[in-house]
Amino acid sequence: MSHQHTLTIHTRHEAVAIERLLQVTRYRGFTLAGLELKPLADVSGLLVTLSVVSDKPISLLVNQLNKLYDVLDLELHQAEAGALRA
Amino acid sequence: MTGAELLIKLLTERGVDSIFGYPGGAIMPIYDALYQSPVKHYLCRHEQGGAFSAIGYARASGKVGVCMATSGPGATNLITSLADALLDSVPVVAITGQVSQAVAGTDAFQEVDVLGLSLTVTKHSFYVRNVNDLAATLDEAFRLAQSGRPGPVLVDIPKDVQLAQVDYHPARLTAVDTQPHDALGGHLDAIAKARALLAAAQKPIAYIGGGVHMADALPELNAFLTATGIPAVTTLKAMGSVEKANPHYLGMLGMHGTQAANLAVQQTDLLLCLGARFDDRVTGNLKKFAPEAKVIHIDIDPAEINKLRFAEVAMLGDLKALLPAMTAAGDYRAWQAHCAALKQQYGWRYDHPGERIYAPLLLKQLSERMPDNSVVSCDVGQHQMWVAQHMSFNSPRNHLSSGGLGTMGFGLPAAIGAKISRPQDTSVLVTGDGSFMMNVQELATIKRFRLPVKIVVIDNQRLGMVKQWQQLFFAGRYSETDLSDNPDFVSLAAAFAIPGHSISHKDEVESALDAMFSWPGPYLLHVRIDETDNVWPLVPPGAANHDMMTDLPQWEE
Repeated sequence: MSHQHTLTIHTRHEAVAIERLLQVTRYRGFTLAGLELKPLADVSGLLVTLSVVSDKPISLLVNQLNKLYDVLDLELHQAEAGALRA
Repeated sequence: MTGAELLIKLLTERGVDSIFGYPGGAIMPIYDALYQSPVKHYLCRHEQGGAFSAIGYARASGKVGVCMATSGPGATNLITSLADALLDSVPVVAITGQVSQAVAGTDAFQEVDVLGLSLTVTKHSFYVRNVNDLAATLDEAFRLAQSGRPGPVLVDIPKDVQLAQVDYHPARLTAVDTQPHDALGGHLDAIAKARALLAAAQKPIAYIGGGVHMADALPELNAFLTATGIPAVTTLKAMGSVEKANPHYLGMLGMHGTQAANLAVQQTDLLLCLGARFDDRVTGNLKKFAPEAKVIHIDIDPAEINKLRFAEVAMLGDLKALLPAMTAAGDYRAWQAHCAALKQQYGWRYDHPGERIYAPLLLKQLSERMPDNSVVSCDVGQHQMWVAQHMSFNSPRNHLSSGGLGTMGFGLPAAIGAKISRPQDTSVLVTGDGSFMMNVQELATIKRFRLPVKIVVIDNQRLGMVKQWQQLFFAGRYSETDLSDNPDFVSLAAAFAIPGHSISHKDEVESALDAMFSWPGPYLLHVRIDETDNVWPLVPPGAANHDMMTDLPQWEE
């Protein structure tokens, strides 16, 4: 059964960071369900809200995204975070 | 100084002694800076070959391999090698020239989006916009290539950045991220659980991957295995990790692993996965892999934990510190005896009749005759699996094989890189007639630098592994696997001033090996084998590892 998950990701202020997020999402078998993007006020990075759908455990994507050089911080929204730990 | 001069100066300060590359328009300032510099540049004859040589250099030595290429086709030719390095976790830094920023994005001559193209086959790729960022970017590239799970990093440098003036500051040489070897904090609970599982286990197996030697943890591994007496199996990449004297070593597991290794893993009640990743060539049918086993998984890469197999106990950390902490003597005598019986029952046989050369026996003879600490590079296909099955190694750095990507054409340039990184050791290439032709142009590199690489071409005039699968699983429809129009390999080598000899009878083998090793320079030994010889055992696609096909040799049918 597919589930939707939402991630909030703080990346470096680089366009390539967004390319990487989308490429990893696709390659690891997650369908893009939503994408919001805004630069942080101090231009220290980008704040990305990424919604994905998949029947795979979200931990598979979280672990891969966390390895990306341009990802500075990643948060799985609270409801899903509980499921990830379970 | 210019950015290009700064780059070479920084590489020199970093101790880079060898670069494998090929010049071109967009990287000419860097090649100009390289001219008469202390860094030795090895001109390869194709960028893919150059990058494979950098991989061979890195894998044989443990250092970072460095390769260079120009923009456009030069950079695209690196891609296969970078993917190979990514899948086998090899630290490589690739430096590419790029068109000047003034024309970037205009489809300029030899312009391609190298950053975008390379991102999926590297840990990360950098595009240097400002010459003042060059030093920090290069520093970061080397740090990243070696940190955590190693891998390739690419630095794309536009020509205007190469030509721009910049002030020189000594390299910062950022330390690679490594955990202190006595740091067990955060793992104490997991270690206690792991020890409890080990104490309760009746039939444990250590499943050893390439991560162990990359963590520089082979002494700790062998101390652990000796102290605990746990039987061990290795992946293709980890061959040579277990000391030859260990009586409980069962060999390689997986699709072409030993029957003893696969059967023991299928029967184990506790699988201790060390620096390995449950690759599909290892597990066969994942759902049926080690079905009775609980799993302890230790790795440096968090993305590998629970990716394919749930681990009852998982530790992200340094094997060098964790293995001693997990060491506790157990009583596995009954299990050890069972594994020894499997090993005895399913040992290799070399008593083939007839006069033709049987490749497994030839490779066993090669293994016994080559000098200690030789580095064996191989290509991809049947010969690769025969090398893994029938040759023995005393270090994973002495067995270079394209494991994850399975890249034909890997072997010859890797053997070149190995010889350059370890000039005192013998570099042996075992290749097949299909693979050899994929980067055969690198014979010119051997000639140019007078590299005494020993080349053994095992020739069945077929793409043997594909043909084997066609025979077994595609009703004998041999689609495009006939290579009977191969060139005369000895004459081909002679065109590059490399002497050689061709053999086809088994009584020629020993004298031919002696001639090859006694010759002071490069040498090519062409070995004709029968195209009907296949690699056994074989776990068919979709099968569990205990369902191995073990076709008897033809003379017993």
